[in-house]
Amino acid sequence: MTAWIRLHRLGLADAARRLAAQPLASLFAAAAIAVAVALPVLAFTLVGSVARAVLGFDTDPHVNVFLALDATDEDVRRVEAALRAHPEAASVRFVPREKALAELKATSHLADLLANLDRNPLPHAFSIRTRSSDPAALAAARAAWEKLPKVDQVSAEFEWADKISRWAAFARRALAGFAGVLGAAVLFIVGHLIRLQVVTMRDEIEVSQLIGATAADVRRPFLYHGLLQGLAAGAGAVGIATAVVAWLNSELSALTSSYVSDFKILYLDAPTAAAVVAGVALLGVVGAWLSVSRELRRFSEAG
Amino acid sequence: MIRFSAVTKRYPTGYEALRDVTLEVGAGELVVVTGHSGAGKSTLLKLASGIERATRGSVVVNGQNLSTLGETALAILRRHVGFVFQDHKLLFDRPAGENVALPLRIAGAGAEETGRRVRAALDKVGLLDREKAMPITLSGGEQQRLCIARAIVNRPAILVADEPTGNLDAEAARAIVDLFLSFHRVGVTVLLSTHDESSLLHLGGRRVALRAGQLAAPAESAA
Repeated sequence: MTAWIRLHRLGLADAARRLAAQPLASLFAAAAIAVAVALPVLAFTLVGSVARAVLGFDTDPHVNVFLALDATDEDVRRVEAALRAHPEAASVRFVPREKALAELKATSHLADLLANLDRNPLPHAFSIRTRSSDPAALAAARAAWEKLPKVDQVSAEFEWADKISRWAAFARRALAGFAGVLGAAVLFIVGHLIRLQVVTMRDEIEVSQLIGATAADVRRPFLYHGLLQGLAAGAGAVGIATAVVAWLNSELSALTSSYVSDFKILYLDAPTAAAVVAGVALLGVVGAWLSVSRELRRFSEAG
Repeated sequence: MIRFSAVTKRYPTGYEALRDVTLEVGAGELVVVTGHSGAGKSTLLKLASGIERATRGSVVVNGQNLSTLGETALAILRRHVGFVFQDHKLLFDRPAGENVALPLRIAGAGAEETGRRVRAALDKVGLLDREKAMPITLSGGEQQRLCIARAIVNRPAILVADEPTGNLDAEAARAIVDLFLSFHRVGVTVLLSTHDESSLLHLGGRRVALRAGQLAAPAESAA
């Protein structure tokens, strides 16, 4: 067991030594991978931020339920009870027709026109905050509420929310494809680097195998090489993405200060950043594995 | 210790290096394989030490049938057979001590143990003062001895050497022969090959002659 730990420590030390022996080449390779990875990471961040900001106005979307003009107080109580009992309704606020008229008079330029009316044209209404912003759930709730007696109309921005979430899903899928392509690029970059290392170490690998090194023994230091390269590149990618988001946000704050919106691009959260670093490290290991295995096969063919 | 049963080795090129060879080397025995170059000596040694696999027949080393072993098990078996290569196979990018340490590093030995055993092996072959020397600065005989030090650093029960006295002058060859005799005396099974039997005359041991991949004559026993 201690020999096993020692083998891994030696492999790691070996890999670190090799990276340090060519600091510039190692740095450029890590930077190239970092940029390749930073691109889809940034794009995901942007799409996520936009989708969240747009849907954010609606994170507890409210639905207005208008009653018929001839609804009695008894009808109002029955509808209110039904609405409160519905699982999708987080809160139910009753807006009496008199209050609605007063609000309309206060906030619109229609005050003069409204003053001339001999009766209140507005119905009683309920403003309901729903629990989810899921379009399907909202549509189901809407259908249920439209069927309540003396309910005239139910309004909500379902289609709008639905469209946004569809676009966000599409953008995420397109980005996943993009990320896949760049992931393959990372595999090639790491694989190529490791292959160069393997070629320069032909003699050592050959002698090691002759005197009893297993394929795993030969592979081990290269896998650590790929791992370290991947960790560095992953950390670099997170750094690049964070720096770009910070820069974009400083530009954005100047742009959006004239609007009510305080739209900000979200920074990578810790789990996402960790996943990016781990993912790139894994790609490094896989790239190294593929590359060394190919070279090992060549050796045994030559042997 | 080593048993060949009707072993044939054919290379992918179609060249048949060994044909139907049956041979047994007992534990602690000293056996010298003789024959012209191309007679199959190197192939026989590589098969005996698990570097290559037989095409037909079976090679049993230390109770293990090599043809049934997987690649990893075969590699681990090679750690227990010291092999002295004809072309030394030293790594010229590191000092003598590091060359000798290679088998120990592969086995995952600790630094302290590695240092101790490397020095013991170098001492055994008379190169203790050259631990830090680069192999390129060593003479042919010294390189040969360095290769022997690497082969014995794991204290193998079997030592195999391919033409260990080739290209050496009489004095250097004599020193190498004495080394192998000393290993033989402490019970190591030694299997050597040579195309020049005269250089190994005083080594004694059993002679096995190969001719065109086949055993030429019944192995005669000599002191």
